[in-house]
Amino acid sequence: MTTFDAGDVTLSEVEEFVWEIAREDGMNTPARVLASESLLEAIADDDTLRQIRNVTHLPGVVEHALCMPDGHQGYGFPVGGVAAIDAENGCISPGGVGFDINCGVRMVKTNLEYSDITGREEELVDALFDAVPTGLGGGGVVTGDAETMTGALERGLDWAHEAGYATRDDLKHCEDGGYRPDAEPEKVSQKATDRGRNQLGSLGSGNHFLEVQRVTDIYRDDVAATYGLEADQLVVLIHCGSRGLGHQVCSDYLRRIEEEHADFLDDLPDDNLAAAPAGSELAEDYYGAMCAAINFAWVNRQLITHQVRETFADVFDTPWPELGMELLYDVSHNIAKRETHEVEGEEREVFVHRKGATRAFPAGHPEVPTAYRDAGQPVIIPGSMGAGSYVLRGGAESMDRTFGSTAHGAGRLMSRTQAKREYRGEEIRSDLREHEHVYVKAESGATIAEEAPGVYKDVDEVVRVSEALGIGDTVARTFPVLNIKG
Amino acid sequence: MTDAYTLREHTADVAVEARGPTLGACFAAVADGMAAAMCDEIPASGGERFALTARATTKKRLLYDYLDDLIYERDVRGVLPVDNEATVARDGDGWTLDASARGLSLADVAARDLKAVTFSQMQIEERADGWEAYVVFDV
Repeated sequence: MTTFDAGDVTLSEVEEFVWEIAREDGMNTPARVLASESLLEAIADDDTLRQIRNVTHLPGVVEHALCMPDGHQGYGFPVGGVAAIDAENGCISPGGVGFDINCGVRMVKTNLEYSDITGREEELVDALFDAVPTGLGGGGVVTGDAETMTGALERGLDWAHEAGYATRDDLKHCEDGGYRPDAEPEKVSQKATDRGRNQLGSLGSGNHFLEVQRVTDIYRDDVAATYGLEADQLVVLIHCGSRGLGHQVCSDYLRRIEEEHADFLDDLPDDNLAAAPAGSELAEDYYGAMCAAINFAWVNRQLITHQVRETFADVFDTPWPELGMELLYDVSHNIAKRETHEVEGEEREVFVHRKGATRAFPAGHPEVPTAYRDAGQPVIIPGSMGAGSYVLRGGAESMDRTFGSTAHGAGRLMSRTQAKREYRGEEIRSDLREHEHVYVKAESGATIAEEAPGVYKDVDEVVRVSEALGIGDTVARTFPVLNIKG
Repeated sequence: MTDAYTLREHTADVAVEARGPTLGACFAAVADGMAAAMCDEIPASGGERFALTARATTKKRLLYDYLDDLIYERDVRGVLPVDNEATVARDGDGWTLDASARGLSLADVAARDLKAVTFSQMQIEERADGWEAYVVFDV
């Protein structure tokens, strides 16, 4: 059997692209890394392997803790970490969700082609940059008065529809219909609400972006037709999360766990694995607050979608419904949810933690929207500004291998501090424009440097592994035309 | 950037290593490092100072609460907290912090988001010449 040694962690290749860290002292299960050798070498370059091994120490974790092909070091859990934890006797971990609760991506289709925008890129990038709040302190699309905040937190896209920012079809094309009924806004602190109030409908910064892309490749004609994608079509990809509100919810509950369950933490190898025992008051409170933050994030992406639609209508002087601006799908990649999975031959309710991992339910799964039920759930994998993105569908093996999950992006190779030493934002911007015809506009040049294409892993390789394992099948590829970020 | 803090490598996030002759100075240096992680060019003047206080049962919790409060003030006041000053004192079974920062309007600087402070790999240690701290922030 092939082995891979990375310091104090040894992995055995149990089948192609599946590397296992054997169970040893303190581990409740083995851990698995899904990667090619080249991806594994990148993954082993930081603390990712130790972190995924640490995840197996959480009480109630079942089968394997998993690291997706785009995994990299996070805090507590690695980014790209998936763990299913018994919902009755296990725990729920805010560190297994991440600070940006329901960070995710959505793709909005258009009936425009690349030629429709050629020569008008600057006009559109400027208009979108004006319409969509970005960066720090840029405000939001709406101001969150008490009624708005309660509505968004409690009812997610239902509220957005009622307020005129979403169509009924938008709700049908969103994970969970854009609404978590378990949300308990009263479990969200005043501090979190205060932070979110002025950020409802904003991109933020970091790796978040809004991109107009063109479809460059179709890999499965039948599925692409079901999704309404065809070559040369323009689409819009929106990547952001729950902003300061979600960050504060995570901070608040990490802090409470640290204070109230210190004994629980003492048995864990990393403080940021902090978890609340299943069934405890704190676990229930966190779950209610997290679900409210999930709803908030869906509203956030919906309000940005509203701005995008109105901007396209202005620029192309055509009402947006006539531009075919329908939501293809909205999917989260920082989330934990009660789901039922088959574990060792039995149906069990587990908290599936997906931190930097995307739900990827296969064809036939009852939670895949009716329109896509026969094709499989759309999965959107954003790449870097220079490499393009992918649309996948949930693969037939995803339920057996990964609790219905796959990768969430390219995954970083390089730290932000190193990126700023190696790249200059203005040079990256000019280079992308001159050589790739990609128009980038950002609040800060440093953000462009930190997000330069060279700081990411090879998204093609991430997707190749996902496809080979049958957890996410390629449907289409897109390439950026213009990009705005904070 | 000053000698009081250094931004350290972290694949997706950013870490601050800071030092100071007193625990309070060390905490303030972490806060200055956090500001530097958000903004490359911090104007030497402008903005008004604001104060904040915190109390916690351990030094780590106090540092977490202090930095978490600064992030909150940033979002709610719309300012980047710079030129941080802090004093930390023992208070019975706990620790207290009195701090202030100069709040630079976010409209006047090119600043990037930093989501949260984490407990991950957090260290606060006393050395022969003062205190050192290491904090990872989620970006």
